[in-house]
Amino acid sequence: MHDLNGTTVAQDDAVAGTPATPTKAAIAKEDAAAAAKARRGKLFADLAPLIGLAVLAVAFVLAGTSAGTNMGYAVETLVNQSVIVIIIATGAIFIFAMGSFDISLGASTLVAAMVAGLVHNATGNLWLMLGASVLAAVTASLISATLAAVFNLPVFVTTVAMLSVLGAVAAALVQTTGGAQIRIDRSFAREYDTLTVKIIVAVAFLALCVFLFNYTRLGRVEKLMGGNPVTARLTGVSMKLTAIAAFAIAGLGVGLGAFLTALRTPTLTVTSASDIGMNILVAMVFGGMVISGGPRSRIYAAIIGGISMALLNQTMSIMLQGMAGGAGIAQMVRAVLFLAVVWLAASGFRTKVLPR
Amino acid sequence: MGSFMRRATGTLIIPVGVFAVVWALAAIDGASLFSSSDSLMILARTTAVTMLTTMALAINLNSGRFDFSLGAMALASSTIGATIAINVGGGFPAMAAVTLAAGALLGAFSGLLYVTLRISPLVSSLGVTLLFEGLAFTITGGGNISFTQYPELVAFGKNLTALVIVIVLALVGVYTVFDRSRFGSDYRALITGQHAAVSAGVKEKGNAIATYAVSGGLMGVVGLIQASGKGLIEAGSINFSTIGIMFTAFLPMFVGGYIGRYSNDKLGYLLGALSMSVIGLGYSALRLTSAQQSLITAFLLVAFLIFLSNEERAKHWWRRARLGNRPPSGPAAPPRETAGVGASA
Repeated sequence: MHDLNGTTVAQDDAVAGTPATPTKAAIAKEDAAAAAKARRGKLFADLAPLIGLAVLAVAFVLAGTSAGTNMGYAVETLVNQSVIVIIIATGAIFIFAMGSFDISLGASTLVAAMVAGLVHNATGNLWLMLGASVLAAVTASLISATLAAVFNLPVFVTTVAMLSVLGAVAAALVQTTGGAQIRIDRSFAREYDTLTVKIIVAVAFLALCVFLFNYTRLGRVEKLMGGNPVTARLTGVSMKLTAIAAFAIAGLGVGLGAFLTALRTPTLTVTSASDIGMNILVAMVFGGMVISGGPRSRIYAAIIGGISMALLNQTMSIMLQGMAGGAGIAQMVRAVLFLAVVWLAASGFRTKVLPR
Repeated sequence: MGSFMRRATGTLIIPVGVFAVVWALAAIDGASLFSSSDSLMILARTTAVTMLTTMALAINLNSGRFDFSLGAMALASSTIGATIAINVGGGFPAMAAVTLAAGALLGAFSGLLYVTLRISPLVSSLGVTLLFEGLAFTITGGGNISFTQYPELVAFGKNLTALVIVIVLALVGVYTVFDRSRFGSDYRALITGQHAAVSAGVKEKGNAIATYAVSGGLMGVVGLIQASGKGLIEAGSINFSTIGIMFTAFLPMFVGGYIGRYSNDKLGYLLGALSMSVIGLGYSALRLTSAQQSLITAFLLVAFLIFLSNEERAKHWWRRARLGNRPPSGPAAPPRETAGVGASA
């Protein structure tokens, strides 16, 4: 009754007919409880993509085993499906972390893959093919960044324009062959379209990205720009140079992804890689990337999201094999799981007003 | 009078200028913009589709809500409408009513999902796009819906008068809802001061759901016009293949915003859509390839954005050039801060 518990004192005040005025101890206790709740919410939010990945992995193993699927082959397909998306999405995190948005990554991948194909057909050299792919993608990326930086344009709309330009460039590149496609020698492509090549390219690029994002000033500045651009500007950060660096790294990822795409799909048409742009976005968000960027950006989001999406696609393929309209149902299930994971990941960060 | 002339000039300069330039280019090439009897109908149909899509995009984007699902809503609602009209009967009135209602319901569902989950609207719209594309695919089993054998279903999309009526009704309807109603006042209050409006008692969730429903209804009409015009619905479009329609609305939306300074942004969306349709007729008259068309459209978008983003800076330079080395009479406005990078996206 008369101990040091602030709540008890407040109750006594209320009983006495005076307004309840919580003591410092009561306020501190409430603050501590609220902080602990917020910490739990944020921890859960951080873990949600990993929990989603674990659940999908279990579902994949169960579905594959019960359907008698060759799991070795299924895992290889999984890597093939996810590695290109992971590479491009990891590079794109540098753009998204600073609160920008690039919708032209898929089109850029297609153009870079076509350039790679044309260079290979002209020279027969793998390294020139790789170099041309990276150069084309970085150039496309830097054009967007430079236009936005020099003319003060919104990045997203600039990349919408680039989407049209790159689509037109892809159509023009195809026309140079006199047909409707660019073909790379299939035996050459098969020789290098191996898990070893993919894993070497992916590990090298991911290591570079993790280092730049987590252990250099560039990564910190990008998160600051995404979280609070005014503070970033006031601290003397060069917004334009940082944005250009981010787009260059994303371009490098697109170039590597395009190189692997050209080896994987040696017959390139204007519709090749058409869904890559949006799949990158979905993978990043599925992996816990905050679309508005800022300090909650995680470089690992693309890896978690890319593998999760591939696991989900494989599981749905196994479960809905031969069913009419199965692809539509699979896509709806994908949508529901995507929204569920994003909802869980955002659970610790609700605001009074609706998010924008 | 001077104010009226200024407003009329600002409102009409872009559509009239575009028409004059395109007509002149076609004339130089020896071509005509209205070479066939269908040219006016095509102009009206393209204008209607572009204006409705622009409005559907802009009403949410003005509130900071980016919506990737516009094309998926048009696809799913027209798939539902056409399936019911073909299998149950009722002809075009049934198809139109069901498509419009389905569009509004799908839009309201999208809004409900957003306000319930309280996640970024852009992310929410990604999930909704997947959901609606999957729905359309599942309804048809992945096949297309062809109804060219039903003349009453395809007549609407080729009827000039009907298309003009749709444009007028949509313009008046959207203007009334967003500019001349209590709902519209709340909507604008939420745009200009979200926190203040919510604190003042504006029901943000209801307003957002209703806005999404209007957006869905508009896309339902787009789906109806496209389906009726082609006699075909490509319901097997999945993996985000429906998002392309959204990109056609950006330039008209910016043009509409510019015209809105002088008159009304809704009228601006119509005039922006009309300008784009005239440019489309010009592409056909000049026999440009799709790649050339994409390049020119992208160039126009970037050029117009450069103009909009640097207008103040250009005026500042112009004033300085006119004044020469004389000191200005008052403090000059500084050039606008860099807005092209970072969170401005």
